[in-house]
Amino acid sequence: SAPAPSRRKEKEPFEIDFASPLDPALAEMIYTPATSNAAISLPKAQWKSKTRNLLPDDKHFNSRQLLRLFLKPEARLGSRKVGFG
Amino acid sequence: TQICSIFNDAQRTAAGHRKLIVSLRKVQESCCYEPTKPGKSQEGFDEDDFNVEIARCVIRLMGVKKSEGVGDRMVRFLGFFLRYASEKDAVLVSGSEIGESESFPETPSTRLTSHILSILLQLLTSKEKTVRYRSTQLVAHIINSLDSIDDEYYHLLKMGLLKRIRDKEPMIRVQAVLGLGRLAGNEDNGDQENDDSEDDDDAGGLLEKLLDVLQNDPSADVRRSLLLNLPLMPGTLPYLLERARDLDPATRRALYSRLLPALGDFRHLSLSMREKLLRWGLRDRDENVRKATARLFRERWIEDCAGAPQTGDVGAFAEAASPNIDGLLELLERIDIVNSGVEEGIASEAMQDFWDGRPDYQEAVSFNDPFWDHLSPESAFMARSFNDYCRQQANKKYEMSVEEKMPEVTKLAFFLQRYTNILIDILRRNSTRCDGDEEEDTVEWEFIVEQLLHIAKTLDYTDEVGRRKMFALLRETLAIAELPDEITKLVVGALRNVCGAEPAGEREFCGVVLEAVAEVHDAIVVDEPILDNEDESFHSARSEISDTTPTKARGDHRTSSSSEEEDEARAIKEIMINMKCLHIAQCMLQNVESSLQQNVHLVTMLNNLVVPAVRSHEAPIREKGLLCLGLCCLLDKTLAEENLTLFLHCFSKGHDALQVTAVHILADILTSHPSILNVQNSENIDMTLNKSVLKIFSKGMKAEHTPDVQSATTVALCKLMLTLVIQDDDLFKQAVICYFDPATKDNAGVRQTLSYFLPVYCHSRRENMERMARVAGGVVHAIVDMSEELAEGEEMVGISHVGNMLLDWTDARKLVVQDEAMVSWDEAGRRVVKAVNGDIHLDLAESLLERAVNNGCSKEDKKALCAMLGKLYITANSSAEKLRITTELVTEAIDGNIATDAASRNALNKLHLALSKAMGEAGKSTKDTDE
Repeated sequence: SAPAPSRRKEKEPFEIDFASPLDPALAEMIYTPATSNAAISLPKAQWKSKTRNLLPDDKHFNSRQLLRLFLKPEARLGSRKVGFG
Repeated sequence: TQICSIFNDAQRTAAGHRKLIVSLRKVQESCCYEPTKPGKSQEGFDEDDFNVEIARCVIRLMGVKKSEGVGDRMVRFLGFFLRYASEKDAVLVSGSEIGESESFPETPSTRLTSHILSILLQLLTSKEKTVRYRSTQLVAHIINSLDSIDDEYYHLLKMGLLKRIRDKEPMIRVQAVLGLGRLAGNEDNGDQENDDSEDDDDAGGLLEKLLDVLQNDPSADVRRSLLLNLPLMPGTLPYLLERARDLDPATRRALYSRLLPALGDFRHLSLSMREKLLRWGLRDRDENVRKATARLFRERWIEDCAGAPQTGDVGAFAEAASPNIDGLLELLERIDIVNSGVEEGIASEAMQDFWDGRPDYQEAVSFNDPFWDHLSPESAFMARSFNDYCRQQANKKYEMSVEEKMPEVTKLAFFLQRYTNILIDILRRNSTRCDGDEEEDTVEWEFIVEQLLHIAKTLDYTDEVGRRKMFALLRETLAIAELPDEITKLVVGALRNVCGAEPAGEREFCGVVLEAVAEVHDAIVVDEPILDNEDESFHSARSEISDTTPTKARGDHRTSSSSEEEDEARAIKEIMINMKCLHIAQCMLQNVESSLQQNVHLVTMLNNLVVPAVRSHEAPIREKGLLCLGLCCLLDKTLAEENLTLFLHCFSKGHDALQVTAVHILADILTSHPSILNVQNSENIDMTLNKSVLKIFSKGMKAEHTPDVQSATTVALCKLMLTLVIQDDDLFKQAVICYFDPATKDNAGVRQTLSYFLPVYCHSRRENMERMARVAGGVVHAIVDMSEELAEGEEMVGISHVGNMLLDWTDARKLVVQDEAMVSWDEAGRRVVKAVNGDIHLDLAESLLERAVNNGCSKEDKKALCAMLGKLYITANSSAEKLRITTELVTEAIDGNIATDAASRNALNKLHLALSKAMGEAGKSTKDTDE
């Protein structure tokens, strides 16, 4: 089975090396503060949502509605033999 | 060192955390409490060193990506340790320093926590998102692990986290919200007393900010985390419950499956909130939300009423108590059954799910005679819903069970009669009451009678004795003029079933209903000693079956002695009686299917009741008459053709509600008699009618200022197009454009109907898809125009998005039913599936290209068209002719340099390449078959 080795490689466990001194590159990454607050923040335009992230009213249009008449909601289409027409 | 190795072990698996924490605590104790004890390996290693070493490890953690489970494990480990250490410290402190407990005492662990937090605080604003993520996560976790936080840090943390709820990374906002949710809970308890003076607006501010995030954060994960972590208080509850309509299904589900079950007794919610939560949840578009709601109702809410033993353990569903029917009745009362149990109300659905999930209640419920003697709205509804549930199941078992538990027809008729009599007595007492007296409430009695009628409608009427009894009762009830409309409707429905399905049954049904109409009509006469001709006319016509010209429903009265007041009262009564007659007729017509002309009762009714009503000067009567006439038209094509113009006129000239009715009538007529529009044999006269019908729909689709009319027209048109009654390119194109039009943004009816309709329509039939391909070019053009004319602040869907949808709707591979020709068998009998025929996208290409090379085509327009052209499905299995034409057009477009930007040029080249390849393959395969 060919895909097996590649999968194993993926699963190689990640470990934090607590013992050794901090890698300078990592240290820099950790200690560099952001240049400005704006650079790491959500744009203000996205702070407010017009809809409050709510759904509109569901109108429940579905296939069931297609199968019935507006005026005779209980009578199913097709149960009626199409007369003369 | 030792600390390092403990951290090293801790990152591998969470299983050993407890042991490791104990050993780490030992190290801490040895550093802090017995620093000089000899024999320890860590000579001279004191508390500061310990804290620095821990912090060193914490910093290592900061660079770990979110996706690594190791990071989360270490965060949990640290939180676990800090809590454990604090608890141990607290025991030591309380042992020695009792009495000094005014503020939180400082201990080694609080110092360690402060040390870690001081480092994390700096990292919260790191440039790197991973660092911000881990630091926020750890801060939030520490806050949630500990009972108390040093005051100094408390405020710093709050400020730091408050900045992070606006982080640009959703995952960081989630963590910030998790920490702040806890702080907000604390502030509610403590700060209101202590901090009144200095910190007041700050304290309220935090909760307010979080509620703002709950409503406005663009990420559903953030909203969901907040939903589950905000304190449950009267002030937050409305905001939390509002999430029942969140855009994100998982958030809605979290509300129903986690927040609400944990909320405690649902009876604390307002009546209207209970109803809304049930309705929203049970009719949610997402199945999992529906399931969670059904469980909430039948497992949690019922237990609140049925009185399950109160376990402290909320969240987990308590072991179901034995069925308690009184509890169920209370539950129904608590959801206001008299209002939620009506037609289209949510209670029926809730109870169907209830019975479905509670076989124990199915088993326990019983309907003996005393039960029927003392019906309440709740118990009547319970019986009705149980009956409905059992009869809707395919399984015979349920049929047996319902037959066993429900009374036989005769008995039910007896109970129905009793409750109907009670109701009628009250109604009559009310009507003879003097003005000042208070009327008796009939709502509950009406509701009970309605439930009984619902049951009556489903019974088996093969038993002749029972059938006769019920028939007589219903017939008699129907003739009572005071009967409320809803009950009239149900009586007619039940009567239809009692009469049997065969044509003779239908004739009997019509005859008996019209007798009742005549009796109701006579009520005018009985009251009035002076007979009016017009009142007589209906009565006599019925027996003569004559076709006399009907008089106006309301003539002029010259009753000599009566005062004006009496005249007026009489006129009102006459209108009411006429309305009642029309209502009964309407209910009857809704249950009739046979041809009008072959049923003499119906013809009489049409001429003597409906036609005069349509000509009435009283608007309500006229409109009710129109509805009845519409229903008659469904039964007779000639009548429909004769009256089509009348309904068209109603649409053009009527008010909103009448326009909606007119559209409904027109749509139903066309559905019932599709041949009215499909004129092949008849000539020009019908074509004009045809055109005016289409024009009405076009007009209705544009009715932006009357949203109800616009959405009713949309639904009607979609139905007629799906059933192929209307096949018109222009109308279809208009519908597609309407879908994207910013003007319909707030009309959910229009948008939702079209979003269901368009893919279904296109993907269901090749002819439909071809129609879409024909109009697509025009649609793009219209959309580009619209987006250029957008008013300030208006938004609309991007053109590339529109393009992708159009491509999808014309992608032949998406057709649900593929052509027969696609599948064949080779000589060996193996099934060969050919590539899907690609003609439709070639048609689309043609229509797009023709538009693109046109001089009038704007730059934006061209760009949109080219982008679409690059994504077409081009295959050798297409008409050679179409391949050739499209290639020519593309070549022309490329040579003509219509593309002004690189992306468009690439798209055209890509299409050209695909076409050449397809032609090459097609050429080869034709040669193959030739040989």
